[in-house]
Amino acid sequence: MSLDYSWLSDGLYQTWLLRGLGTTILMSLLGIVLMLVIGVAGALCLHFRLPVLETLTTVLVELFRNTPPLVQLFFLYFMLSEVGLKLTDPATGRSVPLFSGFTCVVLSLGLYNGAIAVEIIRSGLLAVPSQTVEGARSLGYTRFQTFRHVELPIGFRLSMPAMTNNVVSLIKTSSQAALVAVPDIMYGATQISLETFRNLEVMLLIWILYVALASLAVVILRRLGDVFRIPGYGVQAS
Amino acid sequence: MSREWRAFLLGIIGVPAVLAALLFAVYGAETPAILAKIWLRTPLLLSGSADFSSSTGGFAANILISLWAMAIAAAIGAVLGIGLISQGKLIRIPSEFVMNVLRNSPWLVVLYAMLYLLPFEVTVFGATVFLSPMVKSIVGLALPVTANIAEVFRGGVEAIASGQWESARSLGYRRLQILRHIVVPQALPLMTPNLMTIYAMLFIGTSLVVVTGTSDVISVARTVIGSDGDHIATAVYIFVLLLFFLFSFPIAILTRWLERRVRAR
Repeated sequence: MSLDYSWLSDGLYQTWLLRGLGTTILMSLLGIVLMLVIGVAGALCLHFRLPVLETLTTVLVELFRNTPPLVQLFFLYFMLSEVGLKLTDPATGRSVPLFSGFTCVVLSLGLYNGAIAVEIIRSGLLAVPSQTVEGARSLGYTRFQTFRHVELPIGFRLSMPAMTNNVVSLIKTSSQAALVAVPDIMYGATQISLETFRNLEVMLLIWILYVALASLAVVILRRLGDVFRIPGYGVQAS
Repeated sequence: MSREWRAFLLGIIGVPAVLAALLFAVYGAETPAILAKIWLRTPLLLSGSADFSSSTGGFAANILISLWAMAIAAAIGAVLGIGLISQGKLIRIPSEFVMNVLRNSPWLVVLYAMLYLLPFEVTVFGATVFLSPMVKSIVGLALPVTANIAEVFRGGVEAIASGQWESARSLGYRRLQILRHIVVPQALPLMTPNLMTIYAMLFIGTSLVVVTGTSDVISVARTVIGSDGDHIATAVYIFVLLLFFLFSFPIAILTRWLERRVRAR
């Protein structure tokens, strides 16, 4: 078996791959932001036991955690076009769907990994030593101030290792964007293999790129975890 | 089982309620007609055939693929796990490398790669075996899961007190014998909840096999949408979401219950 990588010198294919890589990174970053927003909001609802929101959050978390992100993506994609949210482009007068494939992917990544993030942040909050919380309360912080200034910062740092796994999972899941025709790196790869018939070589290259991307994310998050670590809380960095 | 029981009831009632509300929000007064259409297609989505005559397609295929992939991944994962805790650097470092690569690779990419990496058919002892897309997707799914299982295996073995190793050593057991007869039997209960989580993850991942051309539930769903029109798409996907949920949610709850029992010991 010999691998032929001559297609890689083609400028067009390089552009496709690079642009795809850019889209994948952008998508992942937006997804991570949405995931964190959902994670913190959900954990807040569960932590304060807000009457209706707690039940709703639990149900939604169970729904998104126990169903495939791919089906969620297809569902969002078709539902949003079925509901027919459309904008009229002022320049051309054409009506374009408000939610493009890209938006749907970011939404589904945010929802699926956000549901996992809710649980991660919540268990981080539970791991905050009760003495610290009591100390804050006795200094006159209100419950929300305690959450905002004490519990969340410490709990978030304690949940860093699990959150790293979740971010890696998000980056990996983003590859399914190609299935709703978002021009990410996977999409570029399928296009190239359709034109060159070098399926195996293209997929191996993409595999390496994804592993590199995920490993980079792991390294960055470890560094962040080390930098922001509060001495005395969490596992000692070795 | 009270805490898990409550969570189970909440989820098993709440999630279908949410999905039903979504269905109604999208279709409004049309909902009963849409539901009737879905009902007609239910056997097809569940078993891949219109009258349950075979069970190698649709949702049954997802279950089948997940079981086979889990079995293969467990076997290879245990070997890789032994490599991870090996004392020789020559075995440990390559094992760690393989584990990290497999763990960080997207399932979709591995599935695609397997589709082209594995030959169309293989000849074993003179018999030609045709590798169907299903076999390829089983291998493609098993690979990344192997890494997770290896890690769980390592974690479980390391959780056993080192005194067990030393006393077995002094009784004259060899390393692999200690693993086989003393450490793994004790570590297995500790690993079970994690293995179940991995299985649930794998099951959810079987949705990706649609790219290999296996007639799994999503490709059947696409066929149904193709024949009944795009209008029904949202309802079909809600139904598929419900199917996946009904299968993996009880596993998740059982896992939590087991986890609590293991921790309590």
